[in-house]
Amino acid sequence: MFEFLIHVAIMACLYGLLSLSLNLQVGFGGLVNFGQVILFGCGTYGAAIAFSHQLGPVAGIALGIVFAVVVAAAFARLGRNLGADYWGIATLAVAEVLRILANNEAWLTGGAQGISGIPLLFGDMPRPMGPLMTLGLCLVLLLAAWWLCQRLTTSRYGLALKLMREEPQLAASLGYDLAALKTQTLMVAAVLAAASGFVFAHYITFVGPDQLVSSETFLIWAMVIIGGSGNHLGAIVGAILMQFLFAFVPFVKDALGLPSEYVAAMRLTLVGGGLLAFLMWRTQGLIPERIGGKQNG
Amino acid sequence: MAEAVLTAERVAKAFGAHKVLSDVRFRIGADEIVGLLGPNGSGKSTLLNIVSGFSRPDAGEILFLGKSVAGMPSHKIARQGLVRTFQLPSMPHRMSVREVLRAGSRDGAGLLQAFTGKGSDDAEAEELIEQFALAPLAHQPASSLSGGQKKLLSIAVALRSRPKLLCLDEPTAGVHPQLRGRMVELLKAFNKRGVAMLVVEHDMHFIRELCGRCIVLDRGEIIADCAPRELTENERVVEAYLGKSVAKQKVSA
Repeated sequence: MFEFLIHVAIMACLYGLLSLSLNLQVGFGGLVNFGQVILFGCGTYGAAIAFSHQLGPVAGIALGIVFAVVVAAAFARLGRNLGADYWGIATLAVAEVLRILANNEAWLTGGAQGISGIPLLFGDMPRPMGPLMTLGLCLVLLLAAWWLCQRLTTSRYGLALKLMREEPQLAASLGYDLAALKTQTLMVAAVLAAASGFVFAHYITFVGPDQLVSSETFLIWAMVIIGGSGNHLGAIVGAILMQFLFAFVPFVKDALGLPSEYVAAMRLTLVGGGLLAFLMWRTQGLIPERIGGKQNG
Repeated sequence: MAEAVLTAERVAKAFGAHKVLSDVRFRIGADEIVGLLGPNGSGKSTLLNIVSGFSRPDAGEILFLGKSVAGMPSHKIARQGLVRTFQLPSMPHRMSVREVLRAGSRDGAGLLQAFTGKGSDDAEAEELIEQFALAPLAHQPASSLSGGQKKLLSIAVALRSRPKLLCLDEPTAGVHPQLRGRMVELLKAFNKRGVAMLVVEHDMHFIRELCGRCIVLDRGEIIADCAPRELTENERVVEAYLGKSVAKQKVSA
């Protein structure tokens, strides 16, 4: 049970990173990114491709970050002439195209079989020290990401993001370059998502296209909305809450004597039902955004 | 007149077959407050949109501080010091009045500056909050302000960006009459500190108090460029607002 809890905590941290990344985009920049999972995928495939080419983890994270920044730049370029909602649909389409590419370009990605055997980051340590060290790394990453996001959004840069989110015309009339702001925000968010993907790949030891289905994006959206869009702590709490709820679904299934196939359905119901409930009755989420909070710059 | 801050030459704009502006020429001196008047549909807002980069002219030239800005993106024009407000100012739901005012200045708003900047108060923003009587509302969400208060906030935000030319689109619409007098005083004070202004407005009393010169548009053409007190004597202006028969009666009287 202890190792199971460590596993859930590691996954909660990795989703926390993804949730922070999406929150920076949508919660602060108003960037409705429905292709978030592919930024995570850049990190997983960066690690996997580096491994398959006998390169070390440093090359893996570098590759993942490069992939993610390139995709983020493509997303930003794509959005230049599109409204927020149409841009969201376009990001979903690009993410799907890239997933299908990963599924088919076997020479690079291993195709549908993916790439397995990626080494654990702390594989030479005995259990449970290895997973505990991974959890420690995840916590450090999550804290660093939280500090980065907090620093960004409590500065004047954060004010610019908020103005872009709500009144883009006013922001442009004051001299803010919205295209540059979008590109920068997407790139920072992409690096966070890629870091999550890199650690995930070295933790699960397998990378495949099935990890990049769009339902993963909507799970991250649910975490942000339920936790509190525009609040970093909210995004982390949303991720932890959803992960622990997911983890305990099989126990609920056993307690109620339900068949195994109900587990996936119950998890989907949790995501959909949770999203719907919060959108209808508590749009600000569990920990709402602070209006007029302390500024650093 | 001081050196021109804005010069428009032969500006033209059409939406399909409908000509909105044709051969519009004017200049604004660096020390001036100029009113831009005209009946509804005369092309005032289109001209303001073109000058501020929110619309591209079909023809003509616009020089701001001697540099061509015709067709330039709005944010680039704003960075040079030409800042505008909007007829119906919309304000953020999830930003306080103080935050919006602070966002008026781009100083220190770069990505890397988020990590190098130190915590500091924005004295200019605080001064504007006091001057525009927004202090009791400073912590409130900006969207919760009344229409008139939003107008005041939008002017204050534009001034926070330290413009050289401020274009105001109907600044008094929805503003309490008592506040209009205060607005005139404030705008005049900023004008003395070097901010030229182009003011689209329907309130003639406000225009007479604030502006030294008026440009009148009718059906996309400039029909008058004179002092506000001369407007009622100008037959073309009276005709544009009240019709031909009234203009004739007025002139014959």
